[in-house]
Amino acid sequence: MAQKLLEVRNLTTGFMTEKGFVKATDRISINIEKGQTLCLVGESGSGKSVTSLSIMRLIDYAGGTILDGKIEFKGDDLAAKKQDQMKNIRGNKIAMIFQDPMSALNPVFTVGEQIAESLRLHQNKSGDEAWKEAIDLLKLVGIPAAEMRAKQYPHEMSGGMCQRVVIAIALACKPELLIADEPTTALDVTIQAQILELLMRLKEELGMAILLITHDMGVAAEVADHIAVMYAGAIVEQGTVEEIFTNPSHPYTIGLLKSIPGFEGGSSEKELYTIKGTIPGLGNLPQGCRFNPRCPHVMDKCRQVEPGDFKIGNEHTTKCWLFEDKPEVTVSGGTGGNTNV
Amino acid sequence: MSNTNMPTAPNAEPAKYPNSENTSLPPATKTKGPWMVLWSKFSRNPYAMTGLVVLLIFIIGSLSAKLITPFDPAHVDLMITNLKPGTDGHVLGTDEVGRDIFARLLYSGQVSLLIGFSVAAISVIIGSLVGAISGFFGGWIDTIFMRFVDVMSSIPTLFLNILVMAIFGTKISYMILMLAFTSWMSVARLVRGTYLQLREMQYVEAAKAIGVSKTGIIFRHLLRNATFPIIVNATLMVGGAILAESGLSYLGLGIQAPATSWGLMLSNSQEFMLIDPMQAVYPGLCIFIVVLAVNFIGDGIRDAMDPRQKQMKSRRRLDKWRKNYSKSEI
Amino acid sequence: MTEYLIRRFLQSVLVLFLISLVAFGLIHAAPGGPTQMMMAPGISPETAKIQAHNMGLDKPLPAQYGIWLTNMLKGDLGHTFKNNKPVGDVLWPTVGNTIKLMSFAWVISLLIAIPWGIYNSTREYGLSDQTASFVSYVGFAMPAFWFGIILQVFFSLKLDWLPLSDMYDMDKQGNFLNLLFHLILPCSVLVLGMLAAYTKYARSSMLEVLEQDYIRTARAKGVPERKVIFRHALRNALIPVITIIGMDLPILVGGATLTESVFNWPGMGRLFVDMARQREYSVLMAITLITAVVVVAGNLIADILYKIVDPRVKLGGKGGRSA
Repeated sequence: MAQKLLEVRNLTTGFMTEKGFVKATDRISINIEKGQTLCLVGESGSGKSVTSLSIMRLIDYAGGTILDGKIEFKGDDLAAKKQDQMKNIRGNKIAMIFQDPMSALNPVFTVGEQIAESLRLHQNKSGDEAWKEAIDLLKLVGIPAAEMRAKQYPHEMSGGMCQRVVIAIALACKPELLIADEPTTALDVTIQAQILELLMRLKEELGMAILLITHDMGVAAEVADHIAVMYAGAIVEQGTVEEIFTNPSHPYTIGLLKSIPGFEGGSSEKELYTIKGTIPGLGNLPQGCRFNPRCPHVMDKCRQVEPGDFKIGNEHTTKCWLFEDKPEVTVSGGTGGNTNV
Repeated sequence: MSNTNMPTAPNAEPAKYPNSENTSLPPATKTKGPWMVLWSKFSRNPYAMTGLVVLLIFIIGSLSAKLITPFDPAHVDLMITNLKPGTDGHVLGTDEVGRDIFARLLYSGQVSLLIGFSVAAISVIIGSLVGAISGFFGGWIDTIFMRFVDVMSSIPTLFLNILVMAIFGTKISYMILMLAFTSWMSVARLVRGTYLQLREMQYVEAAKAIGVSKTGIIFRHLLRNATFPIIVNATLMVGGAILAESGLSYLGLGIQAPATSWGLMLSNSQEFMLIDPMQAVYPGLCIFIVVLAVNFIGDGIRDAMDPRQKQMKSRRRLDKWRKNYSKSEI
Repeated sequence: MTEYLIRRFLQSVLVLFLISLVAFGLIHAAPGGPTQMMMAPGISPETAKIQAHNMGLDKPLPAQYGIWLTNMLKGDLGHTFKNNKPVGDVLWPTVGNTIKLMSFAWVISLLIAIPWGIYNSTREYGLSDQTASFVSYVGFAMPAFWFGIILQVFFSLKLDWLPLSDMYDMDKQGNFLNLLFHLILPCSVLVLGMLAAYTKYARSSMLEVLEQDYIRTARAKGVPERKVIFRHALRNALIPVITIIGMDLPILVGGATLTESVFNWPGMGRLFVDMARQREYSVLMAITLITAVVVVAGNLIADILYKIVDPRVKLGGKGGRSA
């Protein structure tokens, strides 16, 4: 068993909207071990990004707040830290890359400066040293003519190039955990594969763990060690990649897998499978199981009581009443408890 | 600066959610018309509603001036100069030539409001026309029109107004036309911008593909997308025009006696500052309040139609929620 | 860069040319043309004809325009009609006075407004932010000349702390301290108006930038919040502010007119009003053209600055801020 790096327990976060307070995630619990990759999979609006922002404590700047739960990074609870203390962790121990690389870089600084800044901040390097290392980092992420590129501004680069720069910024201080929030979504298909490959290669080289957020089960199948499926602010199923793909148990996960074209467990029909209905707004979740209005196996109980997490495999849990006979897992930490605010 | 037509608020571009992943859209339960949605948000804004009520009071008051006061605002009576407020039914007293100040304020309101609203209406018409033609035809017509907009925006409006009033004489109708002619540029830019933006939209391409007239589609959407920003713009122009009128009249190049306006009253009052400073206060206060009311209304409409305003980040309220949350569950 | 500069410069010249046409056209569109108005009342038609001939007013309009424009370009602003003084002699001193007033007010308001707006953007809806919002509502709705009159009543007449009007006391012409003393009231009026706009610009521009993804990237890098604001956000936020301030120049010049009239400041704006009353068209045309030059140059400088601070704008590309 590898060493635990990040342990999120019962993380509940909320935002203030026009209609009042809304919970964005509801008692999320995930574990990441050293050097492992966890994929957080779900539709947009399911709270994946909020989870990642919470771990970085960037949620405070986005108009949200952590309501409850613990985020233990190497035994330290990040949820209880002050922003002042967080700045020594962000970009140093935990780094993050974002969805849209073109807008993630500051347009008025050269890319070299932006990479070097990280090094100056966390490693007290001098300007020259930092600049040299920035160029090395650009080489590391596979940017040709790095010396020349370092002096360029983001608008002079392509999207794929920018994402490599963003990755270089994130890797500058050799973080132990890299959070990648849909790092390939905004890129062309051919570039997507390259970036994923790059991430995986760097993960091996630097021995870091990755929390990869994606809506694409195909991507998750390729890179993940563990998968957590999110739906409407909660994790409905998680387990190792083998468990999820060979024995998907939550109807939502099954739906997601079936909608991958060409997936073996998928529909035998020619048409593409779709899950009927849409993800509910976080402001008005249904009573009972949050998936019940879209679930093909819905029972009376599903409409009234929210299911707990049932353990169906070694590391495999599912939030579905179909597995009521299996033992229920509870996670300590935070206050947990009811869903009503 | 407050004396000329105000610059437009620089946020007329379509609103975007800063972080769509975090923002949960309310479900479409009932579909209200855009006007109803606007009104329901507008009416919840205390500033905007106060502005509306105040403006209505001023409009009704000045329109029914005849019913409210028995005095003729232009009636000079040297026997009753500089009366104190309240004497002989003169609510605010009389000025240096015996005219009733309250009556003059009411009748001045008619002039100021007439100028404010008609200037806004005319500049909206000019601006929409120029903007739509510019956007529609593009090419050299667009270039000429936009250079013209540049020219108009490069001359200090007040100078142009003064020039025209000095050359052509100081009639109210000239003044309205002149003020409208110097304040339509922002509307033109807005309409043209919306038009160009719409032309790039995918649904316009789609409509073209299925054989619907592109122009028809664009104009329908143009109407829908530009209406509210134009209204906001027009509201601000009402205030701007009232201020411009008062400035011109103050300089002696606007409304002339025996007609009366708040600016003209101010101009008279400066000579009598020592004797009766209140004479300078009343008309200025009227201008200030009306323009403030109009601006509140304009901002109210803008806020009501801008979804970005929805997410008010109040740390304090969030922190309170956070505390209550953990309490409720222990 | 050179290509852009040339293109932008030619554009400005074109705008100036059009403005001169507008100014010239307006004056000649007056009923009866300028001849009738320029002549002293009561002179005989013959004298009027001779005088008109002397002034070139009997030539066809395009020729008149050509002569006027060439003279302007040569720096000859023409002569006043009343006493045939060179326009330059009347005009240039007032230009200097206006510059003194405006630059003073402008610098003060920028020094207050930009830091204030930025501070407010980081503490949205706080006390300081609410105050600024109040100030900007007041500044936008208050007739500047009225504010001036109120200040005069209070600080000059009631309290007798500050001079009522003019630029110097009669016996202290040219005394710098005395000038400062006289600057306080008119500057306060101008500063209120400018504060109203600039604080708002700075705040909303900063807020917009703070919502950008690259700010999140900076925070994710572990940049301390102070540095996020001053290093990463500020430069981006100032770019639109520079542009807007450049575009506001005509409003500034116009705004000074009323303030100058209230405080009897011997500036260009007051001269314009006086000359408009006396129908001294050559002076009016000269002032219009000079202000237009200032405004167009201001816009040009704002555009160039825009390019220097914002590397995104491709050099040699189209103007930075077309509508």
